[in-house]
Amino acid sequence: MHAGLLDTYRRPVSTRGGLAVLLSLVLTAFYLLLYLPGSAYVPSFPDLLTPIAHALHLPDKWLLYGLLYSVAMVAGAVFMLRRHGNSRYHRIRTYTLLAVQIGLAFSLPLVLAVLGKPQVYLSYVWPLSYDKLFPGTLKQLPVYLALYFVVASLVVFPVLAFTKGKRFYCSWICGCGGLAETFGDPWRHLSDKSARAWRFEQVSVHTVLGLVLLTTGLMIADAAGATGDGRLHGLAEHTRSAYGFFVGALFSGVLGVGLYPLMGTRVWCRYGCPMAALLGLVQKFGRFRITVKKDMCIACGNCSTYCEMGIDVRQYAMNNLDIKRASCVGCGMCAHVCPRGVLRLETRSDAGPGAGAGEWVLDL
Amino acid sequence: MTVHHVIVGNSIAGVEAALAIRRRDADARITLVSGEHAHPFARVSLMYVLCGQLSLRDTELHGRDLYERMRFERVHGWVRRVDPTTRTLHLDDGATVGWDRLLLAVGSRARRLPGTDPDDPAVHHFVRLEDLERLDRAAVRGRSVAVVGGGLIGVEVAEALHARGLRVHFLIREPWYFPVALDGRESEVVAAHIRGHGVDVRTRCAVSGVEPVGEKRRLRLPDGPLDVDLVVAAVGVEPATGFLAGSGVAVHPQTGGVEVGDDLRSSSTPDVVAAGDCAQVAWADGSRRPEQLWYTARDQGRVAGLAMVGDEVRYRRGTWYNSAKFFDLEYTTAGWIPASHPGAQVPPSEGWTTWYQADGVRTLRVVCKDGVVKGFNALGARWDHTVWLRWIQERRALAWVLPRLAESHFHEELDRPFLAAPTATLTEGA
Repeated sequence: MHAGLLDTYRRPVSTRGGLAVLLSLVLTAFYLLLYLPGSAYVPSFPDLLTPIAHALHLPDKWLLYGLLYSVAMVAGAVFMLRRHGNSRYHRIRTYTLLAVQIGLAFSLPLVLAVLGKPQVYLSYVWPLSYDKLFPGTLKQLPVYLALYFVVASLVVFPVLAFTKGKRFYCSWICGCGGLAETFGDPWRHLSDKSARAWRFEQVSVHTVLGLVLLTTGLMIADAAGATGDGRLHGLAEHTRSAYGFFVGALFSGVLGVGLYPLMGTRVWCRYGCPMAALLGLVQKFGRFRITVKKDMCIACGNCSTYCEMGIDVRQYAMNNLDIKRASCVGCGMCAHVCPRGVLRLETRSDAGPGAGAGEWVLDL
Repeated sequence: MTVHHVIVGNSIAGVEAALAIRRRDADARITLVSGEHAHPFARVSLMYVLCGQLSLRDTELHGRDLYERMRFERVHGWVRRVDPTTRTLHLDDGATVGWDRLLLAVGSRARRLPGTDPDDPAVHHFVRLEDLERLDRAAVRGRSVAVVGGGLIGVEVAEALHARGLRVHFLIREPWYFPVALDGRESEVVAAHIRGHGVDVRTRCAVSGVEPVGEKRRLRLPDGPLDVDLVVAAVGVEPATGFLAGSGVAVHPQTGGVEVGDDLRSSSTPDVVAAGDCAQVAWADGSRRPEQLWYTARDQGRVAGLAMVGDEVRYRRGTWYNSAKFFDLEYTTAGWIPASHPGAQVPPSEGWTTWYQADGVRTLRVVCKDGVVKGFNALGARWDHTVWLRWIQERRALAWVLPRLAESHFHEELDRPFLAAPTATLTEGA
């Protein structure tokens, strides 16, 4: 028997009460402790995590963070599967997320560190891992790894987003998404469903993508100019560290997770992630869609409520419109919670038999 | 001159009518009168609000700016009396509203359980928002509850109260759960599933009386008395048309439904239209009675709105389909599935065959007449009912349909598909 979502609004931690505020503060404080010490802007912030990491015989605080992250994901996955484990999609997806986190995002860097080699996180590519196309980064990597990051970032991941939807990354591989889908399950209903939030999201997420493109462009121009222009070099370095601190650390880390209990789990993914923005643009013209079974929606509101990206799924379902939205991370929860089985995630290249009779709509 | 359209009831039929009017007439004055919730909400979600899966706000159908955006006026209050001669509504607070065209979309109220005191605070219903608010206060963890009535509202209340930590006794008068839609085999799958959650499901269990014993209520049942803290009567609904008595607006003497023609206009009173649960509408089988269903209320609302602006319209009931959920078990049906429990009207058995396959909690039943597929009934797996409706319309043979079942799959991605297997049984009779 699976608990489902029946008790969501009866859990104090899920309803923006005092407990949620407290947890939000704890998460925010943790991320400040993680990111501020040694940062470009607040380097003297007290570093409490490195001594703890060393006490645990971990080489640095990032591996301690990886350990805590993995523990949170495993615990969250247990909670998540107790609620939604009756769905094979969610079981396979959740096991995959755990395997990627524990294998690629924790164990591999740990082994490399123990062997005295530089840590490599294969599951993060450009533009989420914004420096992966910086010439300086690529030069330090072995050729096969440099090739991996270039091809994955520019070819493989966009092609997969076209054929499978960006969910292949956002809900199956990505660590940010992985935490949201497991540890974040108690807060997925807190996303803002308003049209205002949607408009804000379109501006903000594409702005961040623009900033990544700008930063990457400057770094490449700087490297291409070699030792030439000192002003360009300074600008590139400034942009890089500003992006790293304000977007990479404060937005994706501190706000992204710190706001879970108050604004839902995908604040970063929705409003900030350049990877989500880029793959979303590909997805919009790709094969992935959510098919709506015609005239069966009872407008109950479960799909919209539990959409962590704040998509008002119900408006599409009520009006027999298939859903193609750039922001959809394809977590599949709308389809799973629908009590009338109205929604189905599909990637067929043709709208063949059984693909639903809904109209198509292109909505960014 | 601007026509004033007044709509009583802001649930799905009423709000769909208002939207239909606005689409046709940008200038019309449209007023929605309701004493329930300020914003149209999904009534079928009341169970989710009761258990805590949704907030009431989550169930609201449109943004809260609907009235402003669509220029609908809103009057909060319950209509106590309708006066067609002066075209006036009289509200419970003494206010009046005049109309040029009136839509009655007042929905249903719960039918009472015979033998219960209408004022008994321990006896609940679950149709309206007030029912939810009252039951929500009474639903204290650890209490015991008897849910009386083996229909859809019954199973929803049972699930929600079970999730709230109450001890649930689900009392069904009929030989098995939901006999108008499920046969004995399907119903046993559902009952076993519900029992697996820890609910006490009792069939052939008519309640012959309810009496107070201290704070508790004692139900007289065939297998002896049952003492519970509260009772939820889910024994059907009836049109909430009591306030029309004496108004001259004709209602059916037995059902209480507002008498309407195929255009949904009142057969007795000019410029009055009815839609949704409260209207005496034509069913697909030609009979006339209220049809308490979300989809038909939505469709009737759209037709009623057009009738109000003066269009020549006709409400046509399409082929039956429906879906439901019994705890975690989803149910989809399309076409004609004759009720088959003892005492129900069973069609002549000549020429009828039933194909049935069960795979754990997933079942599929296909009913045929002279080899032509007439109806589908499915538990557990998800199906696209529109494909089934097309096959029925195309008068496909069973042998043609079975190899093509996959075309009507609508399961979650990665779920194992339900395919026709040799283990299925084909029996005579519907």
